Amino acid sequence: MADQQGAKKEKEYRLIDSVLAGNREDFHELIAPYRRGVYLTAYDVLQVEADAEDVAQEAFLKAFRALRSFRRESQFSTWLFRIAINEARMKLRKRREVPLETLFPDEDSENSDYTPMMLKDWREIPSEALLNEETRRLVRESIAQLPEKYREVLTLRDVNGKNIAETSEILGISIGNTKVRLLRARLMLRDIFVERTQRKPRQQTPRGVSP
Amino acid sequence: MKLDCKHIWRELSNYLEGEVSEEVRRDVEAHVAQCRHCAALLDSTHNVLVLVADERRMDLPIGFNSRLRERLEREMSISGPE
Repeated sequence: MADQQGAKKEKEYRLIDSVLAGNREDFHELIAPYRRGVYLTAYDVLQVEADAEDVAQEAFLKAFRALRSFRRESQFSTWLFRIAINEARMKLRKRREVPLETLFPDEDSENSDYTPMMLKDWREIPSEALLNEETRRLVRESIAQLPEKYREVLTLRDVNGKNIAETSEILGISIGNTKVRLLRARLMLRDIFVERTQRKPRQQTPRGVSP
Repeated sequence: MKLDCKHIWRELSNYLEGEVSEEVRRDVEAHVAQCRHCAALLDSTHNVLVLVADERRMDLPIGFNSRLRERLEREMSISGPE
């Protein structure tokens, strides 16, 4: 595993050297493993396919132009995802979304607890319900409903499978804060999801906010 | 040490990551064995995360890779990395 990682890193550095030496087309090979991840990250932050594609393209272009400034202190993918997250944030700023943050306590302090919603019957989400198309839509909508910073951390860790250390590096926050933010993101997501699955079908409450 | 529900919630994410000490793991498991609220919370959170991980398989938009390649090639023909 460690060897594989090392070999991958070496290969990436070789490709980077090559691009910088003038073999620009090697950049395609360098980024090929990350096209999907970068797109998904942009998509989860922005929730609109076309915007996510713009942002992903923009991020790769930026990475190409700025390749010489990649310091090799972190992994290439970490650097790349940081560019992508920043691009996505800028796009979001421009769009000015409704601030959902006000629904939830906002600090990341280690001692501030998030209290999971108490459901009347506390039933589990039935596992047989989990695999249909409807459920996948609900998951996507629930992610979309998370406040931005929770959506980011959840996308990196739980959708893209980045580890905690990488996630904290990409977001530029401490490992402790990453864990706290992730805990909240997961609990909130579960609350939103459960609330949505228990809602009567076809009922359209704006943004799923409980009265 | 006995953990109350609040402690369980705080450790829940780390527990699902497998990132808790042996002692905390045992405490969490002892707690959920007799607290159905926390057991349901743990299960449902786990289930939601399984679904979220499934998002990873979402398809790229059709033509995404070729549009990206085209755009990069246009850039490459103009200039290299600074």
